Amino acid sequence: MTQVPPPFDPELAAALELIKDVISPGITPDEIDAARQGPGIEMLAGLDLTMDGFFEIEDRAVPGPEGAPEISLLVCRPAAPAEDGPRSVIYHVHGGGLILGNNRFGVDAALAWAKELDAVVVSVEYRLAPENPYPAQIEDVYAGLEWTAKHAAELDADPGRIVLAGSSAGGGLCAALTLLARDRKGPQPIGQLLMCPMLDDRNDTASSHQMAGLGIWDRTANETGWTALLGELRGGADVPAYAAPARAEDLTGLPPAFLDVGSAETFRDEVVTYATRIWQAGGVAELHVWPGGFHGFDGFAPQAALSQVARAAQVGWLRRLLGR
Amino acid sequence: MKELAGRLTALDPDAGAAVRVIAYFDRLAESRAGLEALVRGAAVLAGVPARLVDAERRVSVRVEADGRRSDSALPPDPAWPSAALTPDGVPALWLERAGAGPSVVDAVILERAAGAVRLVLDRTRGRAPADDPALVETLLDATAPDAARLHAARRLGLDPAVPARVLAPVDGRPRIVATHTDPEPPAERVGVGPAVAVLDLPDSWAAARTALRFTAEGTAQDPGPRVVHAEDLGGIALLAGLVGPGAEPPSDVQTLEAAAAASPWLLATLNAVASTASLRAAATASNVHHSTLQERLVQAEHLLGWPVRTPQGRFRLQLALTMRHLARP
Repeated sequence: MTQVPPPFDPELAAALELIKDVISPGITPDEIDAARQGPGIEMLAGLDLTMDGFFEIEDRAVPGPEGAPEISLLVCRPAAPAEDGPRSVIYHVHGGGLILGNNRFGVDAALAWAKELDAVVVSVEYRLAPENPYPAQIEDVYAGLEWTAKHAAELDADPGRIVLAGSSAGGGLCAALTLLARDRKGPQPIGQLLMCPMLDDRNDTASSHQMAGLGIWDRTANETGWTALLGELRGGADVPAYAAPARAEDLTGLPPAFLDVGSAETFRDEVVTYATRIWQAGGVAELHVWPGGFHGFDGFAPQAALSQVARAAQVGWLRRLLGR
Repeated sequence: MKELAGRLTALDPDAGAAVRVIAYFDRLAESRAGLEALVRGAAVLAGVPARLVDAERRVSVRVEADGRRSDSALPPDPAWPSAALTPDGVPALWLERAGAGPSVVDAVILERAAGAVRLVLDRTRGRAPADDPALVETLLDATAPDAARLHAARRLGLDPAVPARVLAPVDGRPRIVATHTDPEPPAERVGVGPAVAVLDLPDSWAAARTALRFTAEGTAQDPGPRVVHAEDLGGIALLAGLVGPGAEPPSDVQTLEAAAAASPWLLATLNAVASTASLRAAATASNVHHSTLQERLVQAEHLLGWPVRTPQGRFRLQLALTMRHLARP
């Protein structure tokens, strides 16, 4: 197995120079607390969620899974009345390796799409590992989806037009959510937008070895995240598909998927494999592997040329899916 | 965290920010990033649009602060912070920051970006196109095959789709410029040929050489325009075929030379009269009082033997002054 990593895209390599003091490739379990206190939170506080007044913002506390605390939904609705009937919903699940983040994390990407497509954004907060191991996350996210589908009318939204979207751990949770919604016969989303999704707890692909110590979220960090979620179970024989969608035996009957990933990141191979398996199961998937992209490059360096192309592909897919 | 790059200048302009700027451009240069990436780096780090314009190499790139490419036809504002690509060159890279005092971070961004841009340009576009005499000769040779001439044009950095013109300086070596570039004003006499399609440049060259014969040093002893555009000559250009260089000058020119030998002020004064709209303007142009000018003109008319203040006489004077240039060896 070759250990020579593919080079980063030149602009992205330069962007890594800027953020390397703030984000290191690896996170160990004892660094989780420090990572949660990182400067990212402060910057999120300054984020204009209304997008210059386009959206009205509301934090809704809604029932969590049975016997669990309430969960918080960030609801962002276009302020203008819906012209063409109920709106589509982008149901956003944030990233953060299952161990950090909140429902503001990365929501600006979803807001940018929704502004262009006149959609509602619902961003769900979920309990974090390791304090809350599996299945707290997926059940919180499922409860939020159920509430959204049931209360869509309140939001001037169409429960039959919900698209799941998430990056990294959020992408993995979206993939798991489609499996769970299929199997429980719950609300049926019409698409899943999985950006560099975290899918496979085994953490043993060629790309995970190749990128060790490089970029963002290397295999050390990945092991930290999955172990926080699964403890002793991680990498073993008994990991449920709702925890790690790469473990799913059956990928039939899923809504159309959009998957993207950088060629220079831990998740490259598991994302390519997941897309391939969807096709092999007779499903619909669009896969983009962006050359020289590190994990989450389009979020960390949205100005870079490659990020602009990646973002255009995401919104283009949504536009085709939603027919707008 | 994603906006970290864009917020760099929001940080105190301390050494920390400068160090990161340097690391950013070093890394771009190391991985052989292209021009757009470098201009984008400047825009993103500065938080304002940045643009690169190198007319000689036909490069024009403008990038918004959010990283989107957005070229502009408007000229850069001279007040914006800027950097040249060479130590004493003209500004080529701008940060579109209006009304701001000098900032340490801007200066570092410009310096590092300009250095990296220079390396890329030298690598990818070669040196600024030197007017290789052999290529110029081929291009201006109407009898050479068109394919060879177009090839020479491209090697000289000319876009065959863009009209060009030939300049004829005194040293006799033709200079070819695309019409969308502004050549710096020459210090010496130069004839400027008309803008034509690249394959018609031999005509522009011939016209430029003719225009050169109508130029003057612009001194008291040789008053007249240093730069003459062939397109401005009109029918006057026909005179060039009648008065050969170095041939015996027409008698009015001989009279003019004799009068000038007697009165050092004469040529400059008569040139002022011939090239301005009124005697008052001529007095101003010659730096003399109106009454002094009148006195001098009486004397000049006596020496020349024809009036210079009548329309016919003024025309005869203009012809004589023009033919004087044409008769020059």
